[in-house]
Amino acid sequence: MDNGIFQVYEDEIQSLEEEVKLLTEKYEDSQQESTFFSDEEILMSIKSFQREFQGESKGHESPSDLKAQLESLEKDLSFLMKFTGIQFTSHSKKTVEKTRDRTVGKHRLSGHCYSVSFQLEFQLLEMQNKENVSAVITDLSIIMESGEDSDVSKFVSSTEERGNLLTFFRSLSSYAEWYEHRRFTFLHFK
Amino acid sequence: GVFAHLAMLEAQAHEAAVKQEEKEQQEEKLARLKARVQELRAQRDELRAKVDQQQKGQLGKEGVVSDPAQPSARAVVEWNIKRIKAMLQVFYLTGISGKLTKRGVCFCISTAYEGTYLGSYHLDLLTKPEEVQIHRHSIPIFIPLEQIATKYLQTDIRRFLAVLSDHLNAYVGRRYQADQLQEHFSNQIEGTLQRNSLCNLLVFNYNVSKKSQTFPFNARLLYGDLCCSLPTEVIVSCTPDAPASLAARAAAHSDAFRRVALHKAFRSFGSAAES
Repeated sequence: MDNGIFQVYEDEIQSLEEEVKLLTEKYEDSQQESTFFSDEEILMSIKSFQREFQGESKGHESPSDLKAQLESLEKDLSFLMKFTGIQFTSHSKKTVEKTRDRTVGKHRLSGHCYSVSFQLEFQLLEMQNKENVSAVITDLSIIMESGEDSDVSKFVSSTEERGNLLTFFRSLSSYAEWYEHRRFTFLHFK
Repeated sequence: GVFAHLAMLEAQAHEAAVKQEEKEQQEEKLARLKARVQELRAQRDELRAKVDQQQKGQLGKEGVVSDPAQPSARAVVEWNIKRIKAMLQVFYLTGISGKLTKRGVCFCISTAYEGTYLGSYHLDLLTKPEEVQIHRHSIPIFIPLEQIATKYLQTDIRRFLAVLSDHLNAYVGRRYQADQLQEHFSNQIEGTLQRNSLCNLLVFNYNVSKKSQTFPFNARLLYGDLCCSLPTEVIVSCTPDAPASLAARAAAHSDAFRRVALHKAFRSFGSAAES
């Protein structure tokens, strides 16, 4: 019996394992992205979760671990929104392509920074090469509340053209703070 | 004689037994591999069917689709955890994200040039009762972190991070342009681009034609504003023995370097040369 035949089987096993991993991720992504639970459903689940599964482990994380993880993540998110002034009111993501080294997701995001509201859509391409993951934004589309202002609309179209998502948020932050300051100043004089 | 003959038979039997054992081991291994392949194929086919079912289900109705079976409380909690993690990843894209720590906050400043994200830097802050301290960080040494901290850290952390982010993004933008130039126009540049660690001083000799063997132009770009990724001072000169028509281009090049990104300026030279 020569080793060649073992190699053939071993190669197939490796390729099947990769495929199974990828399909599992696709399935879980799709489940996640097409599901929605309301705040009440989430609260009720957290309560009943702790009651029902007291002490169960079976290789899963314990209810108290999951609850602690959830609380820590919520605290981080709440802190960031408060600190940066950027509040996201909705976020939806759809994975449109997923291979071993490439993931493309379509994102829809809306929110506001102080009193300036925005709506965004973009595609995020993530590629895995030997050392790191790279991320590139394409198809960026921005709708801003104060869109009639010509300076704002110029800024928005040049940002969209270059896919400059990061610059958009950095500038949004300072613009919104300035706008807020101006708003209060006017109110003061009314 | 007999003894030698017996010894030979014993050796033969031994050899045959070893060979038999080897054969059995190999057959066993083959059987295991075959079984594993079957197992994986079945798993894969099951998953493929599930994913196809999902696609069909989604094509039918846009928007909310929930599991036909009532989801367990654990599933809801796990769903929520994933949702919040996804939202925290979006904060990474905004440029400022972070995590609360026991003694303060660990901020993450992300950088990008146009649509390409180029890595992030960490800053671990301790927010003691009296004053804010930088515990650890991964900010490169040539970024004036101390200066910026002295000016803003105690009075306005947001402003401190914004200014630091401007410096980092501008540095990364300058570095990216130089890298792009080196990568895509290496045959038009003599040797390698000379630059300092902060990438705010670039010097190089270049030509505009891909076929030329000489590099008549010399460019010196100084980026005086550390928060900007365009140069404040540009000097383009041409070697004295170059044809006058070429030398006349130096002014146009200088202007281009001042107005647009380095690699984009080079692209425009290329198309101008061909026309």
